[in-house]
Amino acid sequence: MTKDEVQGATEEEQQAQSKKGLKKQQKEAEKAAKKAEKQAKLAADQQGPEEDDFAKDRYGVSPMIQSQQKLDRVLVRVQDLTPEKADQLIWLRARVHTSRAKGKQCFLVLRQQQFNVQALVAVGDRASKQMVKFAANITKESIVDVEASVRKVEQKIESCSQQDVELHIERIFVISQSEARLPLQLEDAVRPDGEGEEEGRATVNQDTKLDNRVIDLRTTTSQAIFRLQSGVCQLFRDTLTNKGFVEIQTPKIISAASEGGANVFTVSYFKTSAYLAQSPQLYKQMCICADFDKVFCVGPVFRAEDSNTHRHLTEFVGLDIEMAFSYHYHEVIDSITDTMVQIFKGLRDNFQTEIQTVNKQYPSEPFKFLEPTLRLEYTEALAMLHEAGVEMGDEEDLSTPNEKLLGRLVKEKYDTDFYVLDKYPLAVRPFYTMPDPSNPKYSNSYDMFMRGEEILSGAQRVHDAQMLTERATHHQINLEKIKSYIDSFRYGAPPHGGGGIGLERVCMLYLGLHNVRQTSMFPRDPKRLTP
Amino acid sequence: MSMYQVKPLCGSLLKPDLPTCMYTLPNIHTQQGNSCTSEVCSEHALQNGEVDPAVKALEARQDEILRKLYELKAAVDGLAKTVTTPDADLDLTVSSSLSSDSPSSTTFKGVTNLDTLLGKDLGALRDIVINANPAQPPLTLLVLHSVLCQRYRVLSTVHVHSSVSNVPPQLLSCLGPRHADSYARQMFQLGFTLIWKDVPKLQMKFSVQNMCPIEGEANVARFLFKLLSPYPSDAALATLVDSWVDTAFFQLAEGSAKERAAVLRALNSALGRSPWLAGQEFSLADIACYCCVLQSGPASSTPNNVQRWLKSCENLGHFSPAKLFLQ
Repeated sequence: MTKDEVQGATEEEQQAQSKKGLKKQQKEAEKAAKKAEKQAKLAADQQGPEEDDFAKDRYGVSPMIQSQQKLDRVLVRVQDLTPEKADQLIWLRARVHTSRAKGKQCFLVLRQQQFNVQALVAVGDRASKQMVKFAANITKESIVDVEASVRKVEQKIESCSQQDVELHIERIFVISQSEARLPLQLEDAVRPDGEGEEEGRATVNQDTKLDNRVIDLRTTTSQAIFRLQSGVCQLFRDTLTNKGFVEIQTPKIISAASEGGANVFTVSYFKTSAYLAQSPQLYKQMCICADFDKVFCVGPVFRAEDSNTHRHLTEFVGLDIEMAFSYHYHEVIDSITDTMVQIFKGLRDNFQTEIQTVNKQYPSEPFKFLEPTLRLEYTEALAMLHEAGVEMGDEEDLSTPNEKLLGRLVKEKYDTDFYVLDKYPLAVRPFYTMPDPSNPKYSNSYDMFMRGEEILSGAQRVHDAQMLTERATHHQINLEKIKSYIDSFRYGAPPHGGGGIGLERVCMLYLGLHNVRQTSMFPRDPKRLTP
Repeated sequence: MSMYQVKPLCGSLLKPDLPTCMYTLPNIHTQQGNSCTSEVCSEHALQNGEVDPAVKALEARQDEILRKLYELKAAVDGLAKTVTTPDADLDLTVSSSLSSDSPSSTTFKGVTNLDTLLGKDLGALRDIVINANPAQPPLTLLVLHSVLCQRYRVLSTVHVHSSVSNVPPQLLSCLGPRHADSYARQMFQLGFTLIWKDVPKLQMKFSVQNMCPIEGEANVARFLFKLLSPYPSDAALATLVDSWVDTAFFQLAEGSAKERAAVLRALNSALGRSPWLAGQEFSLADIACYCCVLQSGPASSTPNNVQRWLKSCENLGHFSPAKLFLQ
């Protein structure tokens, strides 16, 4: 069943909404038209194909491209189809998004990533009846090469991203054919959650989407999400490089578990076993001891936690920062928060279309932040929670509901979705965390939150081998296993600190999505290992 | 009932062993008899035959009272000097007593205790969050902030909200340089967090649980001023202050040229009667009106009393943050 409505990337939300009624009507009309068309088709088939086809060489399934020849043909991008190109004859390669035949003409919507344009094959001196029929029968999601002239339209085409022009097709060749039955319909996959239920239309559940990730990733929403994710990575790299950081690569197969708490994956390693890195933590620190001063690294991180929540993955991309500081670890906080603010600003200023596209399917409030970033202390947070009626111990870690509540309280008072919580109790942090100089109950450690969820955990690290040994013993950690780590601080180490961010979480929370799987291209969780 | 007699502990003729390293003076006690050589004494002595100790005490009290009166006169003279001749250098003690604006020292003590003013401290920094639009910097609040800083340990921070993109640098530094201890939030009595944000009306948030957001610069100014000094307990005087604050914000800051001129005339006549707008004490009325007069444009055509008052305000030294903006 065909529906020629696709929400273009640049369309305004209001237009989309005012369209609903129109859509319904149009759909009904389509149904009727289709019925009539079927009958007509049947009649035509009965007449037989012996009718002479003057446009025989203007359409067809082209032989598989095996790089037989190198054509100098220039393929125009759909997004470049603007009124300036009017009346030009162009070649174009795109997917058939929808097709709709109407008697002697056939309307196609051709899609390229998040852009689409309306195209028309009509019986005339260029196209024959058979050509129109061929065009109407091309399966959805097939890739076609099209020669067409660009025409300005008088009425804006609301359903396409290129609203001011349409294509009049003169030649059409199928490059790669899609199977007729799609596991999911693209328009169903981008339908906002509530809307489907109201109108009795299909929505696609998360597992179907993830099972057929290739098709799901073709939707405008997915395109926007992963473009934005690439933007986050780019901004992260650019900002830190400008600050004089060096990008490093660290091994992912390691001999000892690096962080307490989270479980590690064991892999067989020839005659022994090894672990998958839970974080590049120790290697980042060793780079600091090796005088790289400020380093960052972007790479996969593995956590063997059997938690099936909306925000846990077993493999995700970690954006890690580590830097030596002069006198106070707040220099590190300032560096990290400024990097985050630069990322948020870059997204706000350069990714507005992507944000709008995602918002159409998953509405959320725009992400708000302060510059410089708000810094609160743990005891303050406890007092705020206490005032709101939450009873918890001084040295207790924040539970997830309390984190969320605190996020709401902070948002209410300061109207920011991003803040830093400083001075965590020493008891809830790993052994390499530097204790607070004035109060041994607390530590020089911090967490950062986006929309009330933790995205970064970091601290000033202990850079003294003696103290590190004491802390490790206190935590009952086998000193033999972390010998090389401790040893790296024996030959003079600068005071340093850092932290690690989860890329998927940042994207999810920035866009206000509710599941981290939406921002992971091929997510890995305890129940999913494919695709 | 009579009491029994005791022999003296030491003999009256006992001679103390005086050191010889210092020079000797005649014994003043032994001179008592000769002290009546002064005219007054001799007169009294002549009239009454002997000096009455009660009269002596009275004389001493009179001297003391006269001395206090002279001191008071000097203080009043000093005050008058600062009011009438604005260029005169301020006596430090005078200025501090003006800024604290406390009629008596007892209320002053009550004020310094933030616990009684703002409720018990739960371990969280008492943070006053002010959302202001960069198009309309709240001069009054900046002035009050600088006065608050003199009274309390205030952690001042300036943030830019993501709803505004470009904020001029002087707005970012309007609360002065960063406090050297700003890394330890617990060391401060009060937080003053100014957020430049796209808000139609200035907004203050203090306790999210117990208090709705306060809107309008005038209302926030009233709140901040109460942390510095209690409102006059005299209802009439308190109303007068409120009335001037409203006049400042509604007619001076937002009013037409005509309204402004009318307010200036009203200010002039009020300042003809007393040194400050609300009588003898410097008050919020003066801060608000000063800032709004300054903001509303060049002060060339201002009437005499107003000009004198503006100069006196400047002499207090609280208004430098506001003046920075207008340069």
